[in-house]
Amino acid sequence: MTRYIIRRLLWGALMLPLVSALTFVLFRILPTGEPARLRAGNKASPTVIAELRVDLGLNRSLIEQFWLYMKGIFLHFNLGFSYYSDASVKSLIFDRLPPTISLVAGAALIWVVSGVAVGIISAVRGRSKLDRASMGTALVLISAPEYWLGLIALYLFAADIGQVKVFPGAGSYTGLTSDPWQWFTSLILPWLVLAATNAAIYARLLRGSLIEVMGEDYIRTARAKGLSERRVILRHGLRSAVNPVLTILGLDIGVLLGGAVLVETVFDIPGIGRLNYDAITHSNFPIVQGTVLAAALFIIVANILVDIAYAYLDPRVRFS
Amino acid sequence: MRPALALLVAACALLLGACGSSSSGSSSVSANGVQTPKTEAQTGGKRGGTLTVLNHEDFENIDPGIAYFETDYQAVYATQRPLFSYRPNTFAEASPDLASGPAEISSNAETITVHIRHGVHFSPPVNREVTSADVAYAIERGANPNVANPYFESYFSSLVGFKSADGGPIAGITTPDRYTIVFHLEKPDAAIVSEALVLPLSAPVPEEYAKKFDSRKPSEYGEYQVATGPYMFKNNSEGKVLGIGYQPGKSATLVRNPNWNPATDFRPAYLDQININIGGDVNVIGRQVLEGSDMVQNDTPAKTIVQLAYEHFRSQLEVSPGAGTRYIAVNNKQGPFSNINLRKAYWAALDRVAMNKGAGGSLVADVQTHFIYPEIPGFEAAGGYPGPKVDYNEHPEGDMAVAEKYMRLAGYPSGKYTGSQTLQVVGSTDHPEDAEIANSTLRTLGFKTKLSIVDQSVMYAKYCGVPAEEIDVCPNVGWVADFGDPQAVLDVPFNGKNIIPSGNNNWGQVNDPTINAAMDKAELIVGTQAREKAWAAIDRELVADAAAVPYAFVKEPLIESKDVAGVGDLWNGGSWDYSFTSLK
Amino acid sequence: MSIGGGELLPSPVGGLSSPDVTGELAGEFAARSPRQLFWRRFRRDRVALASLAFIAFIVFLAVAAPLVVKVLGLPGPNVENPNLTNAFGSPLGPSLAHPFGVDQLGRDVMSRVIYGTRVSLIVGIVGTAIASSIGVVIGVLAGYYRGWVDTLFSRLTDVVLSIPLLMLGLGLGAACEVRGCFKGWVQPGIGSIIFIIALANWTYVARIVRGLVLSLREREFVDASRALGASNSRIMFRELLPNLVAPIIVYSTLLIPLNILFEASLSFLGVGIRPPTASWGQMIAQATPIFNTAWWYMAFPGIALLLTVLAFNLVGDGLQDALNPRTAR
Repeated sequence: MTRYIIRRLLWGALMLPLVSALTFVLFRILPTGEPARLRAGNKASPTVIAELRVDLGLNRSLIEQFWLYMKGIFLHFNLGFSYYSDASVKSLIFDRLPPTISLVAGAALIWVVSGVAVGIISAVRGRSKLDRASMGTALVLISAPEYWLGLIALYLFAADIGQVKVFPGAGSYTGLTSDPWQWFTSLILPWLVLAATNAAIYARLLRGSLIEVMGEDYIRTARAKGLSERRVILRHGLRSAVNPVLTILGLDIGVLLGGAVLVETVFDIPGIGRLNYDAITHSNFPIVQGTVLAAALFIIVANILVDIAYAYLDPRVRFS
Repeated sequence: MRPALALLVAACALLLGACGSSSSGSSSVSANGVQTPKTEAQTGGKRGGTLTVLNHEDFENIDPGIAYFETDYQAVYATQRPLFSYRPNTFAEASPDLASGPAEISSNAETITVHIRHGVHFSPPVNREVTSADVAYAIERGANPNVANPYFESYFSSLVGFKSADGGPIAGITTPDRYTIVFHLEKPDAAIVSEALVLPLSAPVPEEYAKKFDSRKPSEYGEYQVATGPYMFKNNSEGKVLGIGYQPGKSATLVRNPNWNPATDFRPAYLDQININIGGDVNVIGRQVLEGSDMVQNDTPAKTIVQLAYEHFRSQLEVSPGAGTRYIAVNNKQGPFSNINLRKAYWAALDRVAMNKGAGGSLVADVQTHFIYPEIPGFEAAGGYPGPKVDYNEHPEGDMAVAEKYMRLAGYPSGKYTGSQTLQVVGSTDHPEDAEIANSTLRTLGFKTKLSIVDQSVMYAKYCGVPAEEIDVCPNVGWVADFGDPQAVLDVPFNGKNIIPSGNNNWGQVNDPTINAAMDKAELIVGTQAREKAWAAIDRELVADAAAVPYAFVKEPLIESKDVAGVGDLWNGGSWDYSFTSLK
Repeated sequence: MSIGGGELLPSPVGGLSSPDVTGELAGEFAARSPRQLFWRRFRRDRVALASLAFIAFIVFLAVAAPLVVKVLGLPGPNVENPNLTNAFGSPLGPSLAHPFGVDQLGRDVMSRVIYGTRVSLIVGIVGTAIASSIGVVIGVLAGYYRGWVDTLFSRLTDVVLSIPLLMLGLGLGAACEVRGCFKGWVQPGIGSIIFIIALANWTYVARIVRGLVLSLREREFVDASRALGASNSRIMFRELLPNLVAPIIVYSTLLIPLNILFEASLSFLGVGIRPPTASWGQMIAQATPIFNTAWWYMAFPGIALLLTVLAFNLVGDGLQDALNPRTAR
């Protein structure tokens, strides 16, 4: 088991430089904003721009720039400095992390609970009206674009512009420490919107998985032994049915921590996804690379955790 | 130090009002009940109170040696005193601010002498009296690469010793005594250099205090700045502003400068404190201001808010004319628009009224008919609101018949473009509707186009400002003059000598030798009336050349709460002036 | 959005690739091949059939858009009309002449929604097709040869999948926005979106195909082929591939709605389809600053997106159920 963990961790550690190399290549080689020009701003003189290029190391070869960048990250944890925003990339990312975590954690809680519950109920009452209705709704929620649902939610329920003024509108997010009540209420709509799509996916997934598991022999044995249906489902069925859900959950959280761009944009939440989007549209390369790396880190860690959990549950995996 | 030459007191260069015809023009706001900076009373306000400012945009830079945008100026001109500055209701005449009187220009226009007031002190923790050496250092630090003032090269390049300037003393700036500063120029363009002293670069900076901050890359003086104006950024005892008086992206706080002496200043400074909140949704901010109290929004409100204010809160709405222009830059150097007839055709075909609707209608923009805009001297002489009488200028809603006439003159007998070139059009996300209308007009004329809409800073820095990119049409460019002189409107965007390989602001690469020569000559003229006349003639030449396709004389709307007696700065897009605004 | 990886985990192929099913019953009943069984099950699924009909309708709209718009008496999708906005530039709402209202430039929304079908379908279908093709080739190669080819492929997909899909799309979209990428080989607009979709999606198809090939290659018919002297490529493309057709179709169909949503997201964020081409995602983006007063411009494109994606999802579900009857409702 330990050997497996070590192997996974090593590969994960190797992936980070590979990902940053990939990002570097993609965003430096493809036509993006000339950083010195963008920093110097619209009305700056050519001498200023030329000096900035030297400062930013842009007059060196690409290989040299890449080497310096990698050294900076892995030796000094220095992700670079953004002249456009006048702040270090690291500080910007750490600043934006709490809102994203708040958003994702809350939504994940909601969608796991509701998705699993609906999935179980639907599986148990297969082919009933309830099953069809919930699966139908789930499918509709999966098919709707998140940001559109967000806009509709705001249109209906936002305190400033909505038809029924219930929840705070876009842009009202405040930190947990400064105003807990506002933090909570401003996140309700984003949580629901983000959770809606995912809950639907999980419900369908769990339902399918549970139905399949329920047809297995050992379930028949459990029933034959006289256990209550409830116990059969929750104790025996759910245990294996939940595997694919765990896999996906880990990956989903990993991906979303990298930034739920769409929801953050619609609700004006200052998270990492928003930071990445703003940086991309402003051709602000240091931040782009920093946020992509941060996101990749989350995904890689999530993958490792999921793999280790899988290996723990299913010994065959360790030897593949 | 040069021997004193016979000084010509060029009062007219600055105190234009006293010299006869000033080009104030008629107030263009036609709607009743909407204020303009010219109708707001500058005196008689109630003392005291705290103003809350809700701004959607953050400052770009609060260091007075770097600040260059409207929002930055709102704070800088309340906390700093440049040699000269404008009172709220004018963009044509600058008043002596730190200076004790108008600038004295020598008869050969190569020397400018300015005397500064006695008894002006820096705010804590510096506290001491301001001397001319502080003004000298303020300007010299503009050349320091850690500061990199964006307009230093544009206006101060004629200073003796400019070429070797790098933050240290400049030979062309001398201080014969504690209260006198003299500028020595290598060419006779004192007229324009003296006008440039209205920019915040001339606000004094104490060298012994600022030097250590200016040696850091980039300079940190802005985060530790001291003030000379009625207000200052809140700071601690070491002078640190960052994190105390300014939290980037979040808030800023201006408090009274205890060392400010009202007897030395024309500003009334009624308010005790100004709290600035940065960020938030534009719709939310607008409503809060309109429905709340003691608040203003000091950047452009959302279109829907402007409509709301006009319909239901009209007395709380200010519209300031003379906030700049928006026009379409077409590539004069290569591609189809190097042909003057095609440029005229485009001008004729464009529906300028529809373009302005995209921004919010006639309340916030008048149809642009030439290039010097309202409130700038020379506006009336160049044609005023109707503009020069040429057929392609006559129909603001577009006239396809005239357009087709010029298409035929350009060699397209069918009246539509039949060439093979596809036009590259780059617009900005700030006004995508204008970009789309500009694009569809091109297609109506028969052109094939590729339209991209990108972030505004990227549009300027990467595409439209780089001649090598060969962008054909840039529909979302605009201009705001640095100070109230027609040269500041026309020279940089239309003089061929100002085309540079990057950061180019002559977006259309306009390069007509006759016009260039006329501009170079007009640059050196001393005396407002003569300057007005010369530059108005140049404006008419530009119209005859169809150097660009204009559409908007911009007017900026601003909103305040019902109990705020706001005073807007005409010279800064109508921004609420913290030193003149009071609470009712 | 979650890529819904769960939907794409390889399910047991169940009864499809066993060529020995028909033999015994040949004489007694009119035996049906697995493929026929598959389609028969699919045809019984009413909901999936209805969705297929809807998709056909959407395809018709896309192909015949100019005709449809003319018949309905609507102006073209790019016809601007400043008279349909008020003095402040705000658009007018639904009316008889303009059933879905107009946008800020006075363009008819219904007309643009109809033309929007073209973008969604082209991007969804062509993009997915390209991604699938690439994925199939690589998946077959990796699954068949195993060894270092497989390891290389797995590591490569790991790295690519470490970057969140939307971020990757955003970055590439923004980079290719004005001039295109790779010296104009990838043109801005639809071209770059299809490129991004292909780049991002091939990994999913490849993974699934690889899994299937890994299990298939152990079967006797492959050994038989080899014993007969068939070359590797013949085995891969003549023996294995035909058995993969059904799952490939099913998973590709499931990818189409995801890609339609992906394009809409990229256009919503401003790096997708270039104006003035009508794209539903872009229309929602343009509606965002004014949606509290001009609800129609946000609602109708969103509903169109919802219905189209829903239809593809239902068809995909139907296909999947037909493929794996054990997990059917």
